[in-house]
Amino acid sequence: MASSRSPFAHASEAELARLLDFYGIPWQYEPRSFPIAWDERRRPVEFFTPDFYLPEYDLYIELTVAKPIRNTRKNRKVRLLRDSHPHVNVKLFTKRDVERLFSRAARARAS
Amino acid sequence: MIGEPLFDAATIRARVRDLGAEISRDYAGTLPIFVGLLSAAAPFLADLTRAVTIPCELDVISVNRFGQGDGIAFQKDLACDIAGRHVILVDDTIDTGLTLHYARKVLLGRGPASLAVCTLLDRPHRRIADIEIRYRGFELPDVYVVGYGLDYLGRYRELPALYAHGTWPA
Repeated sequence: MASSRSPFAHASEAELARLLDFYGIPWQYEPRSFPIAWDERRRPVEFFTPDFYLPEYDLYIELTVAKPIRNTRKNRKVRLLRDSHPHVNVKLFTKRDVERLFSRAARARAS
Repeated sequence: MIGEPLFDAATIRARVRDLGAEISRDYAGTLPIFVGLLSAAAPFLADLTRAVTIPCELDVISVNRFGQGDGIAFQKDLACDIAGRHVILVDDTIDTGLTLHYARKVLLGRGPASLAVCTLLDRPHRRIADIEIRYRGFELPDVYVVGYGLDYLGRYRELPALYAHGTWPA
């Protein structure tokens, strides 16, 4: 489990790490980059690095706090990752998901 | 803030009755113990145990939530020993699945003969923990629901139906 000093790119990532720590769920921060696009000689030209990996669930989580209209880039990367690595289980949490995950009332009764 | 019911009282009654019948069939000849996760599951737990037609026992647990303490733990533990027993863990809503995953893991550590999960509501949109749900009342879209035990900052638990709340609390 990473320490609280791990350099997160955004506060929502630190908050998710705290949530996972609270539940005792092991996690890794950006442990792996996946090639998602290749040139004509099959050399990777674009990579995607999901924010979190949860080994217990074999699940990658990508957080975005951009407004929905600006999610196109992340959605594309997640789609390419799923297409090129169908065995990889990845979930995209949008700004709304993040807000709802950490909302006061939701936290009070989240199951 | 709330309008027409998402699931009215009659619909909930009918679904709980069906779940009770299904559980009664699956556990015929055994004495299952229903373990409810307080507080929101209380009305569902009470109605469900009255809907089963076989003998059963009842107990409850509660856990602290994110933001309350350093880590999840039982605030109220079982009063009975579940070793060798058939346990049905009853929750009101499964969202991320993290709380239920914890409760399930702790209870499995006590050596029950079996442990099945029953939830009134399944909201899979933000699921993190992969929970096997054996009995499911209703699947929910990504809406915040109140009534029938579920609250908005302490309110609306007493309502007999389930309502989509107009806003998701900040």
